[in-house]
Amino acid sequence: MDNQRNLILAVVLSAVVLFGWDFAVSKFYPEPAKVSQTDTLANTSDPNDASEAQVRSTRHTREGGLTDPADMAEEAQDLKTALASSDRITIDAPEVAGSINPVGARVDDVLLKTHRQTVDKDSGPVRLFSPDGTPAQQFAQFGWIGDDVKLPGASTVWSTDGDVLTHEKPVTLSWDNGEGLTFRLRFSIDDHYMLNVKQIVANRGTGSIVVQPYSFINRTSRTASKDTWNVHSGPIGAFDNSVSFDNDYDDVAETGTVSPGGETEWIGFTDIYWLSALIPQENTSAQSDFRSLGNDKFRADVIYDPVTIPAGKQITRDTQLFVGAKESDVLDAYQEQGISQFGLAIDWGWFRWFEWPIFQLLKKLYSLVGNFGVAIILLTVIIRGLMFPVAQRQFASMAAMRAVQPKMKAIQERYKDDKQQQQQEIMKLYKEEGVNPLAGCLPLVLQIPIFFALYKTLLLAIEMRHKPFVLWIKDLSAPDPATVLNLFGLLPFTPPSFLAIGVLALLLGITMFLQFRLNPSAMDPVQQQMFMIMPWVLMFVMAPFAAGLLLYWITSNILTLAQQRYLYSRHPQLKAQAAKAKD
Amino acid sequence: MTARFFILIARFWQLGPSRFLPPTCRYAPSCSEYTIQAIAKYGAIKGGWLGLKRLLRCHPWGGHGYDPVP
Repeated sequence: MDNQRNLILAVVLSAVVLFGWDFAVSKFYPEPAKVSQTDTLANTSDPNDASEAQVRSTRHTREGGLTDPADMAEEAQDLKTALASSDRITIDAPEVAGSINPVGARVDDVLLKTHRQTVDKDSGPVRLFSPDGTPAQQFAQFGWIGDDVKLPGASTVWSTDGDVLTHEKPVTLSWDNGEGLTFRLRFSIDDHYMLNVKQIVANRGTGSIVVQPYSFINRTSRTASKDTWNVHSGPIGAFDNSVSFDNDYDDVAETGTVSPGGETEWIGFTDIYWLSALIPQENTSAQSDFRSLGNDKFRADVIYDPVTIPAGKQITRDTQLFVGAKESDVLDAYQEQGISQFGLAIDWGWFRWFEWPIFQLLKKLYSLVGNFGVAIILLTVIIRGLMFPVAQRQFASMAAMRAVQPKMKAIQERYKDDKQQQQQEIMKLYKEEGVNPLAGCLPLVLQIPIFFALYKTLLLAIEMRHKPFVLWIKDLSAPDPATVLNLFGLLPFTPPSFLAIGVLALLLGITMFLQFRLNPSAMDPVQQQMFMIMPWVLMFVMAPFAAGLLLYWITSNILTLAQQRYLYSRHPQLKAQAAKAKD
Repeated sequence: MTARFFILIARFWQLGPSRFLPPTCRYAPSCSEYTIQAIAKYGAIKGGWLGLKRLLRCHPWGGHGYDPVP
């Protein structure tokens, strides 16, 4: 009868379904394909590498990146040697740092200046691209294929007209094949994450030649963030104006090559927060596919159709390379500039129409108050405020209904064999006594998408990554770091993860318990018992989730408590009855 | 097939969440029962549409009372 309880229950039940499912799936089907992939690939390419890959664990975390300590040590060592060369062309753009390798003309060293590795302020920038052969390898290469032509390859040493690539100053690499062809790669970068690469071939010879310009992104899947049932991590692209989230690394490894078909708008690889993608030149014909290279390595290719370059002419292909964070404003701006469906690289899923307004509101609030935690609290206040009229009406009708309870009992008794007649009589009674009927199920059903939208937003939005609230909460997108069991780290042990209850989770349990206790409606003993247990079960279920989500829920509980108190004060007869029911 | 699926959802709601939730129905029969009847009578598309329309008027400012499938 109580609307507060309906709302909370709707939220609770949707949460149980959502998270329970996730939990059950990961528990009973723990990434079965991973094993077979390692097995089948063990005998391909470098045997040394393969045996190592088997020994080292590939655990995919929420944010992605290397997890094995040996891998991390090796990565640091490899980077030192790989990036030592002074011939590298430094990239120094507002949000991107790194370098281009003049050997092979590879973009294989990219750091994001505006995103840190960890919540620690001193931690270095996030590395997206890492040279070929390093454990976290990911890089982009631009080149040409063709027959009977001497072409630049992975070991070609290019000459350059500049040492530093900035958003104001492009850099051109060039290479002469000694047979009348000059190849040039003109790199430019904007003030976010987009590189533009012009692939130019100038034919100074006497006959015409045919080449196919190509580009690819090559990466290991071992650094991939966790691919879950509602957030895709892996191969991604937009083909014929629609984004495809269907291809997983495992699928590509199994089939070898996946050609999505249709006109390629963009193609690449995504993690929850990061994206690397190639955007082929518009109005040109290009083929694109995902390839498995064995050993957890994958490639996203863009291969233009063959072009004929007559003697004395030159031909240019203009490819864009996005390598950066999936900040929704930035992606949308690129979409405005003509990259089809680029904003949808963030995997909002089916409920995008619901999530979008909530996300926008949250960002607006953040820009007003400057603290994401406070913004979440304000958002909760707004949502609860909108629901308040519903709650108020519900309380009023409940109060009136209590008054006609005896008459209702009589009707139920009299027509207990004819449900239809019974309903009609009850409705007639409502009318006679001027009682408002119950709230109906729509308010309850509406809560489910709202909660889901918030859950998804907190899960996906990089805008919330490493955003602090107050005191010990330094990252609202991560679970609460303070665990109660070891007295916040005072006791020298780390509790097993399912017992790692944070302070927020504890607050959640307590506020929910209090709120259930204030519920006015009479419950049967089974229900009553369920409501005693439910808060504490949910405390454990919710503990591993983003601190921001818990913050929302706690705020919502506290507001509901306040609302209950207020409405009780306006309907004192309800309070007396509730007290009586408890005895 | 689709009709079966919709009915399954409604049945799931009745046996799962609805059991634990306090009664909220303004209408008789309930939204889920109404939808099941409508789909059985008119098929997935029209029946589903009737069910959705019913759900959309099942709020504090909507109608109430005896409201069987037409």
